[in-house]
Amino acid sequence: MSMGICKRQAEVNDLLARGHWPHACPAELRAHLGSCRNCAELALVTEAFQRSRAAAVFEVRLPAAGAIWWRAQLRRRNAALERVGRPITGAYVFALTVMLLVAGAAVIEQARHGVRWLDWLPEFEVARLHLTGFNAFLSLSSGGALVVLLPVFATVALVGAVVVYLAAERR
Amino acid sequence: MDSDAFAAFYQRSARGLWAYLARVSQDPALADDLMQESFVRFLCAGRPEFSLAEGEVAARRYLFRIATNLLRDYWRRPVSASIEEMPEEAFAAADLTAQADSQALLGPALAELRPRDRQLLWLAHAEGYTHREIAQITGLGSASIRLLLFRARRRIAQILAVQACRPERSQPREEHAQAEPTRNWRSQP
Repeated sequence: MSMGICKRQAEVNDLLARGHWPHACPAELRAHLGSCRNCAELALVTEAFQRSRAAAVFEVRLPAAGAIWWRAQLRRRNAALERVGRPITGAYVFALTVMLLVAGAAVIEQARHGVRWLDWLPEFEVARLHLTGFNAFLSLSSGGALVVLLPVFATVALVGAVVVYLAAERR
Repeated sequence: MDSDAFAAFYQRSARGLWAYLARVSQDPALADDLMQESFVRFLCAGRPEFSLAEGEVAARRYLFRIATNLLRDYWRRPVSASIEEMPEEAFAAADLTAQADSQALLGPALAELRPRDRQLLWLAHAEGYTHREIAQITGLGSASIRLLLFRARRRIAQILAVQACRPERSQPREEHAQAEPTRNWRSQP
């Protein structure tokens, strides 16, 4: 299929686009269409599409612009909320990961020195009754280090999560 | 773009967009949905240059691009609709479309073309876009638009010429096309 371009095609196209076809068309150009297949097809197809478009635009019952505007605002707000929630989820994951690492390390440390999880329980009973001995209980009992370290690591994890959250939020 | 500017833009461009979607998809109910979705996505994109008055042409082109992508996504989706899921308005609107198309003889002719050819022809001949603008809207190469458009125009001109010579035969073909509006274009990527 050869794609021969007629020199008068632009002229025909221009008349069609302006709506001057066929009434304001020069007679010699109309005669040209009888001999030029490209221009004749162009005129036939463009006229058919323009008629179809003119008929179609009156078929639609448009919804209110305000309703579409409102839908778009709602979607934008939901997208914004989702964006805000993303760093919070990241902070949760970070904090959980750190906590699991700390707990794992603590368990490994305890296992290395023999499992003595409940050794300090009798001492705890004593310490509860004699508050003055509480400090000594913390420092001397076998689980004392764990009792002190765990809150410290938890605080570090929490602060780290907050820092990650703030950094992500600022970005 | 504030709400007043959008309302004005919507009034100027919604009907043309709906005509494009309805004629290319041959499904007025689908055109209703995709038109609204196109405008919502247009607003969510929030491109500031469209607030300027001279940017309306670009905004309109961008809107057609969104609609074209939505149509393409719809065609790529697997077909799962049953007749119970279709709204009643779809049938009523189809009758109106058939009536309008029978006057213009374009509906049955479009039904025989591939969806991409329908898009190209509509954008070129109904909307008056240039080859470069059509390339921006459809995402096709600018060089290939010319050849694709030439072939599509030749094909539909032949169909229109045949229909014009035999108008009494166009009605059954149109009914067939309306009865199975999705068969032809769903098979296309």
